[in-house]
Amino acid sequence: MTNKEKYNEAFCNAFEINQDQLNGLKYQGIKLWDSVGHMTLVANLEDAFDIMMETDDIIDFSSYEKGMEILSTKYDVQF
Amino acid sequence: MCNSDSSLTGKYALITGCNRGIGKSILQHFAEKGVNIIACIRKKNEEFDVFCQKQMELNQISIHIFYADLLEEESVRQFVSDLYKSKLPVHILINNAGVVSKGLLPMTSMQQLKDVFQINFFSQVQITQGVSKIMMRQKCGVIINMASIGGMDAFPAYMSYGCSKAAIIYFTKTMSQELASYHIRVNAVAPSMTDTSMKEEMGELANMEIQRRCAIKGLIPVNDVAKIVLFLASDDSSFINGQIIRVDGGM
Repeated sequence: MTNKEKYNEAFCNAFEINQDQLNGLKYQGIKLWDSVGHMTLVANLEDAFDIMMETDDIIDFSSYEKGMEILSTKYDVQF
Repeated sequence: MCNSDSSLTGKYALITGCNRGIGKSILQHFAEKGVNIIACIRKKNEEFDVFCQKQMELNQISIHIFYADLLEEESVRQFVSDLYKSKLPVHILINNAGVVSKGLLPMTSMQQLKDVFQINFFSQVQITQGVSKIMMRQKCGVIINMASIGGMDAFPAYMSYGCSKAAIIYFTKTMSQELASYHIRVNAVAPSMTDTSMKEEMGELANMEIQRRCAIKGLIPVNDVAKIVLFLASDDSSFINGQIIRVDGGM
């Protein structure tokens, strides 16, 4: 599985959505991506990429695209 | 539920500040129940190493020792990062480490206040942030914070200490609400004067005042506090959440 596929799967599992809903998805843009859902997403991503996200990055993680930027620049996850 | 008193065996408990006093007694009580220990202490201590080795042999458990200076945010961050990398589960977190600080208001520097809060509050929050994420994935866990009667009752010259412990009490109550949906319980123990080196640090005047207010006189044995912690970690207390358990002889 590629990193992009793992990333997408983390979102789909956390928010019970399909891959075609991911582009442009923003925090609190759908019902399940609330603060609790955000923590589920973070847990999924930490598991998928074997990382521990810093609190500041969890706060900055505001969209599907922003998340990829954070993971690639700070956690060496290449997409 | 992931713990019961009889099934604590094989679980992992992270205990901060467990090389002496209450923390060491908690470690011993958990070890005797077959709980594996993740010890977080400030620096390497050979006497503690020997103690841990003995506990491991006696109780057939593992003890993993990590070092962190709770006064330094970066040191705590590194500890949490190392804990993640170790892949150890954490079923029980005991935020025990703390320092005493005393001084009348005009004699309390802002730096002193910040240092007390860094050790007694901010570092505990930082550790809990990391460990609660592990527990959220497990969908179970118990967090026990070491508060103090000083966080509820006022004593002259203990503003900084009391405020830091009051913060831990509020933190306990808030976290108990926030983490309950993940089956994580959060409680605190608030002892009065225990029979540890802290009594010397508190000073004779504070000791006398505490004794004056106590219905049952005398120092509280550390074992009494450790047994409450053991109870709170077990399934015997599965519906106790967000509580501050005073161990004070009746003040």
